Amino acid sequence: MAIGSVGVVTASARPSLRARLSELLDRESWLGPIFVSPALVLLLLLVAYPFFMALYFSVSNAFIGRPSNFIGIRNFVRLWESDAFRQTFQNAFVFCGAAVGAKVVLGISLALLLNQQLWFKRMIRGAVLLPWVIPTALSTLGWSWMFNSLYSVVNWTLLAIGIIDPPGPNWLGQKYYAMAAVIIVNIWRGLPFFAITLLAGLVAIPKELYEAAEADGAGPIARFWYVTLPLLKGVLGIVVLFSTIFTFSEFNIIYVLTHGGPMNSTHLFATLARQVGLETGRIGEGAAISLYLFPALMIVVWAQLRFVRKQAY
Amino acid sequence: MSSLTRRQFTTTAGVGLAGVLATGIPPARGQQREISYLCWNNFAPASDKKLAEIGQRFTKDTGIKIKIDHINAEQQPAKYASEVQTQAGHDLVEMRMHFPWLYEPQLVDVSDIVADLEKKYGKAVSSAQETAKVKGIWRAVPQYHAMFVATYREDLFKKAGLKIPDTWEDLYVAGKELKKMGHPVGIPINQNLDSISTAGPILWSLGGMEVDKDGKTVRINSPQAAEMIEWYRKMFRDCMEPEVLSWDNASNNQSIQQGKAGWIHNPVSAYIVAKQMKLPTADTINHHRTPGGPNGRHETDAPRHIGIWKFSRNVEPSKEFVRYLLGRPETYNEYIMSGDAFNLPVYEKLQDHPVFKTDSKYAALKSEGVQYHAYGWPAPPSDKVQLITNSFILPIMLAKAVTGTSTKDAMAWAEGEMKKIIAG
Repeated sequence: MAIGSVGVVTASARPSLRARLSELLDRESWLGPIFVSPALVLLLLLVAYPFFMALYFSVSNAFIGRPSNFIGIRNFVRLWESDAFRQTFQNAFVFCGAAVGAKVVLGISLALLLNQQLWFKRMIRGAVLLPWVIPTALSTLGWSWMFNSLYSVVNWTLLAIGIIDPPGPNWLGQKYYAMAAVIIVNIWRGLPFFAITLLAGLVAIPKELYEAAEADGAGPIARFWYVTLPLLKGVLGIVVLFSTIFTFSEFNIIYVLTHGGPMNSTHLFATLARQVGLETGRIGEGAAISLYLFPALMIVVWAQLRFVRKQAY
Repeated sequence: MSSLTRRQFTTTAGVGLAGVLATGIPPARGQQREISYLCWNNFAPASDKKLAEIGQRFTKDTGIKIKIDHINAEQQPAKYASEVQTQAGHDLVEMRMHFPWLYEPQLVDVSDIVADLEKKYGKAVSSAQETAKVKGIWRAVPQYHAMFVATYREDLFKKAGLKIPDTWEDLYVAGKELKKMGHPVGIPINQNLDSISTAGPILWSLGGMEVDKDGKTVRINSPQAAEMIEWYRKMFRDCMEPEVLSWDNASNNQSIQQGKAGWIHNPVSAYIVAKQMKLPTADTINHHRTPGGPNGRHETDAPRHIGIWKFSRNVEPSKEFVRYLLGRPETYNEYIMSGDAFNLPVYEKLQDHPVFKTDSKYAALKSEGVQYHAYGWPAPPSDKVQLITNSFILPIMLAKAVTGTSTKDAMAWAEGEMKKIIAG
């Protein structure tokens, strides 16, 4: 009897599956991982797997469709012997330094301008985003036409207003002009990202700080230097970090405009990696080109995130 | 008739599905013979339409469905690499030039098909043999080829009383006059394949080469290469304009089509497009065979082949399609005719094909006495030679030389780069 009664009590005390599930989902220690897991699975599949494959390829003599062997860092050492690679290495720093530097200056200027009370403010802010929204390959084709040796509208305009003498620069055929051309297009394309993100940072700065500074006699330059810039540092750090990574790994602009020419003067890591890894089948070497800067970029990312965290707290 | 219980149905379906999943083979009743073919967007679009039409007829005649996909030539290497790495994708693939060498371990031996075709049409042309026959085994079936010829403005030559260039030196003489007339010669010197397609024949005609036929000895630092550089230097100065340093594969076509260039080196596509678009220059363009030099007359040829991936589960149906397209004279003939002389027959007995007579301006395509080669000749098309080609060392050497680097330094640079690749 006693046993029977215990059994009845136990059965009635056991909560239903729904109730147990509901209870489980109420616990943060369970709910958090459940919410994070889809993103984690996606990251593992789409980021971690290709990344580790690339890491393996870079230390192997992998050739498309053939068995590969581990060769240590031989690819990295051998690459440094190639003139094309050394040129690419130099190009990457010139391209990234000039483009990111110009985007910082122009991005802050544009953000300050967009933060003013302007007519058609929303329309202008929307229009500024256009270069960022249009597919890069498509917009770069437009630039390719503008820099075309036969029909360059850039040269035509500069000639018409008397800035240059005919026939004008051969934009994509001379190495310094070609580098300038790809930098210009990268700035044009990346500027909206800087401007809009910095604008969000500007809007978040309390107006009272400007009023207090003004009351203390600070002019526009002093207000920018002592109020705006310090409070923008966090956002600026993040934007520069992202832009540095994107600019180092630029592919479309170079591929469409110059294919890395003339004389390898505009090749970047991504375009050279494609040339060696895909067009020739030497994916081991191609992966090594792509990952050459990975350790250095990791240090930059770590330092910059540390800086941003310091700013935030 | 006995009825099927729910339990029986579930068990039967479950076992069947498990069997299909385990073996990867669908039941006979569900098997649909279907193959897929990946090829480039042909510069003669009418031939792609004809290919689709032939594909439909093939399905009707054999019951094998065929799906034909097209991509731009520049996307082919990336697409092929992904198909090989994942061991999945199309059954048949179009193989340009030395692709069969690059993908050799992944391609089915198609020597049986080529043997049948050669019995019917004669030997495949030398450039097709060099590129599709890898170490004695045909890894792809020669389909057609497109060679470079000289494309010139006949009206300008007549107006100035210029002689049709028979040698590259003759071209320099004519080129000087053309530039004075405002219609310079247009030979690209940049990082693209057209630049190599012209530089190669010039180097070969002088007796030079990039790498020797052993595939190991670099020969670019030679008196012949120096002679080629000097020729380019004077051409760049007296017959061309600096714009050639920024040209891509299409720029020379555009230049002659738009009425600027007086002479270019290109397949007949420049003329075909001008004709199709009814451009005024179409009537004034004509062709002549590629100029020669002391070591004969050489020309770059771009043979195209059809390969079958080893990972394909439809090797036999795929071979059937290749036989249908290329092995039936009336079908192959129809296909070649649709290409308006851009796709030329690739077998010896077909070198008097009616396609050469469809336009009097195609006469130069029957270039007698011309030797056809793929990039890198006489070296066998290994991956190292392919990397030399794809690294554009030859045009970069020329670009350096015409923009101020000394001939000696330019050759030394090219030699160094090539040696590193060969040693790697």
